[in-house]
Amino acid sequence: MDDALETRIRELAQELWRVEPSSWQRPLVALGRRQLGSLDGRPALRSAMFRFVDAAPACRGPIDRGAHLRAFLREVDGEPIPPTLRPLRGRLTPRPLLAAYGLASGPATAILARQFIAGRDVKAATRNLRAMWRRGQAFALDLLGESTVSEAEAEAYFHRCAQTLRVLARVTRDWPEQPLLDADQHGSLPRANLSIKLTALTPLLRPLAPQRGAEDAARRLRPMLGLARELGAHVHLDMEDFDSRETLLLAFEEVLASEEFRDAPSVGVVVQAYLRDADETLDRILSSPSLTERGVPPTVRLVKGAYWDHENVIAGQHGWEAPVWSEKRESDACFERLTRRLIDSRDSVRPAIATHNLRSLAHAVAYLERRGGRPEELELQVLRGLGDELAEGLSRLGYRVRIYTPIGDLVAGMAYLVRRLLENSSNEGFLMRQRHQSLEELLKAPA
Amino acid sequence: MNEFRNHPLLELRRPEVREELTVTLAALDAELPLRVETLVAAKGISGEGASSTDPCDPKRQVARLGWASADSAERALELALGSRWPRRSPDERATVLERAAELLAERRHRMTALVVREVGKPWEDADAEVCEAIDFLRFYGLGARELGDELLQAPGEHNEIRVRPRGPAAVISPWNFPLSIPCGMVSGALVMGSPVLFEPAEQSPACGWELARLLLEAGVDEDALAFLPAGGELGQWLVAEPRIATIAFTGSVAVGLEIQRRAHAADGQRQIKRIVAELGGKNCVLVDSDVDLDEAVPAIVRSAYGYAGQKCSAAARTLVHEGVADRFSERLAGAVEILRVGPADDFATEVPPLIDPDAVAKFNHYAEACTGAELARAESAPGPQYVAPLLVDAGHLPADTPVLRDEIFGPLLTVERVRDLDEAANRVRELPQALTAGIFSRQPDRIDALIDLLPAGVVYVDRAITGAMVGRQPFGGNGLSGTGARAGGPTYLRHFADEQVVSTNVVRHGVVL
Repeated sequence: MDDALETRIRELAQELWRVEPSSWQRPLVALGRRQLGSLDGRPALRSAMFRFVDAAPACRGPIDRGAHLRAFLREVDGEPIPPTLRPLRGRLTPRPLLAAYGLASGPATAILARQFIAGRDVKAATRNLRAMWRRGQAFALDLLGESTVSEAEAEAYFHRCAQTLRVLARVTRDWPEQPLLDADQHGSLPRANLSIKLTALTPLLRPLAPQRGAEDAARRLRPMLGLARELGAHVHLDMEDFDSRETLLLAFEEVLASEEFRDAPSVGVVVQAYLRDADETLDRILSSPSLTERGVPPTVRLVKGAYWDHENVIAGQHGWEAPVWSEKRESDACFERLTRRLIDSRDSVRPAIATHNLRSLAHAVAYLERRGGRPEELELQVLRGLGDELAEGLSRLGYRVRIYTPIGDLVAGMAYLVRRLLENSSNEGFLMRQRHQSLEELLKAPA
Repeated sequence: MNEFRNHPLLELRRPEVREELTVTLAALDAELPLRVETLVAAKGISGEGASSTDPCDPKRQVARLGWASADSAERALELALGSRWPRRSPDERATVLERAAELLAERRHRMTALVVREVGKPWEDADAEVCEAIDFLRFYGLGARELGDELLQAPGEHNEIRVRPRGPAAVISPWNFPLSIPCGMVSGALVMGSPVLFEPAEQSPACGWELARLLLEAGVDEDALAFLPAGGELGQWLVAEPRIATIAFTGSVAVGLEIQRRAHAADGQRQIKRIVAELGGKNCVLVDSDVDLDEAVPAIVRSAYGYAGQKCSAAARTLVHEGVADRFSERLAGAVEILRVGPADDFATEVPPLIDPDAVAKFNHYAEACTGAELARAESAPGPQYVAPLLVDAGHLPADTPVLRDEIFGPLLTVERVRDLDEAANRVRELPQALTAGIFSRQPDRIDALIDLLPAGVVYVDRAITGAMVGRQPFGGNGLSGTGARAGGPTYLRHFADEQVVSTNVVRHGVVL
């Protein structure tokens, strides 16, 4: 182990750790966190509440919503129910009572959602985005939506993306200059930054026939990149579950191989460190001429990966070895290894380290320093609602922070929201780990 | 049962796994047509005049054979009656099944390729079928070792249940699961000590032949398993034959009821025949107003159109709460329009051709009855046995239309709008078939109430209604959909044996000795 590097990681982490949330400034955030915290150690209640949050937007009015809440609560066995919810467990639950709970739960869900989702659409989110910019934080916008099962839905998603790109390009134009956010060592950085989902861009994603989905997605990816080039915007192709990875990489490589996109727009891909073959994926990206021999180097966002449970469920049902590491420390070790590789490759790619793990972030910064890099050569990314304090701390250290910011309506955003809530209230989640573990534990090297 | 694990499916999302199958298929193609023989006492009897063909390309012969003669069948039955197989211990018989499972696992790629070719089943389903066959062998092997009956014991008394072989079983199997369904029925009967006369479906003799040879190779006594490919008459003879003790049949409701009528008619019968019948369905999916369409639409598409709807568990009707019906129909229609119809050996294919020209004619008959009510139609593929998958608005069909009653066994799904799911459940209860059913709802108490109302043998909640797994979803129907056995379940083997209760007085001279 490299002692000097470890020492520096600790210093940086302690500096970040000191940035505490000032709850009186954001009472709703604090309230949301207290609610989530109260579910800690009550798995049945937690499951009931999340299933309710998941179903609530699909209910037909307050009575139906109240009836759902009652049904979920009745399944909670052997755990204390919060006093405010106890009347729903009674033998008699008259309709006005259901309606009252149904009415109250709407705003409660909305408060939770607002922490993680910046607005219904890009116009509604503009104020939020500008405020972030003023604080010195860039954004990566993500359009939450229903999954795509038909051609019409793929078209609709394409048009939403195109419309969003246009609005973003327009509204960000006259924002004040932020040198750290506007350029790095390779040149200028687009302010308009959109993350897109390949699975929303084609209804033909079939893991057994990746070429089919890739060809269909490419039909829409081309005009999208054309528009981004015209507007000077950045398009980032998000990584999703393992089933879609091959289709995604095929589509991207195919479209970017075309001469017309050689110099623009700015694009990005993602590597998920929780995959056992994450190193090979990075090899593939770094050796792909259509990605690395471009006029503008691609951004490579390194994430831990958000589908760990999903991958294990799929693998378990089919009798497969899961494509993800089984132990968290293996993912963490892979994350650090890939961080170092990305930072060492910063002449040909723009590394973006996206995590809420204190140690992983501190490690990235410490390693960049060790390699003689300047802060603008590294981008750090966090999720809206989860990494707000970290973002402040990283900005103070002089690093460019980009906040992954989802927008969309509640029904469409629910899948995203529930995943975030689960993370937030599980012991593996960042907030719970902060609550339960000492800094010392958080900073252990993942060997 | 705790030791049982489902055999892992192939991870077809990895290109190298797909490549291996493609290579295996090419090797199999070079061997075609296979010369399938009648097997009596493990001796092959070859013949001419019959064949099976690739549904994707009917010019390609998969197997050539002659139908088994009446003499062969008679000899097979006599051998079965004299076989020592029933006197082998349950452990010995279970070991044979487990050895067969090992052999099948070793040859899984070739067997998968054969299923793809002979019945036009796409890779993913064909692989799942081979795994199911392996699972049946292991599950029934384990099950026969530990039937686990505990009786109440009183002082001075020892009580036990033993199981006794019943005598020869006739297995009459379908083409839509040409390997796993006969494997389950044949191995279930064998492991409980019944010698088996196995008649495969006319359309899939090669799969049946490979199964029979595999079981013999694994150590089934030569006189305890006969393979008798035949047209309709042999089946009728087997059903009526008084020396047959058990009939295991999977197929249509009509044939199943005919078997019930004919099985007990012969003179000279010395026991009541046991009929283990797995029959058709008219399977309904109920969709509630709080449904998550992102989950429901793909699951329903898979249930209705996978293997072109040629599974007994396939979804035939959806009954949708009016609050979500328009949105549901629109999204489902969009998903049906892009279904890829094509040959089974293409990994991109979602809907393969139908099994034979009769199936095509039957499908077209129902499709014509739906003229004017189509919500969506996918593009068909060139070839005589391909059809265009259809989504139909039942609101535009006459109330008494057979489209909502008959098992069509093809890629046709109807959508009905209902006031609420109680009304939906009542409509489902009017059907005599009760095989599988699906519920998409997110309110636990409503789901519970609906499960109570639905008579189906297997109810699936918030998931596809096909793809039952051995040990996880024991499969079988109620109503006219079957005699109640649950394939791949803990009680299945019971149907293949007689029980004998033994109660012994262990008191001597007033004390328990």
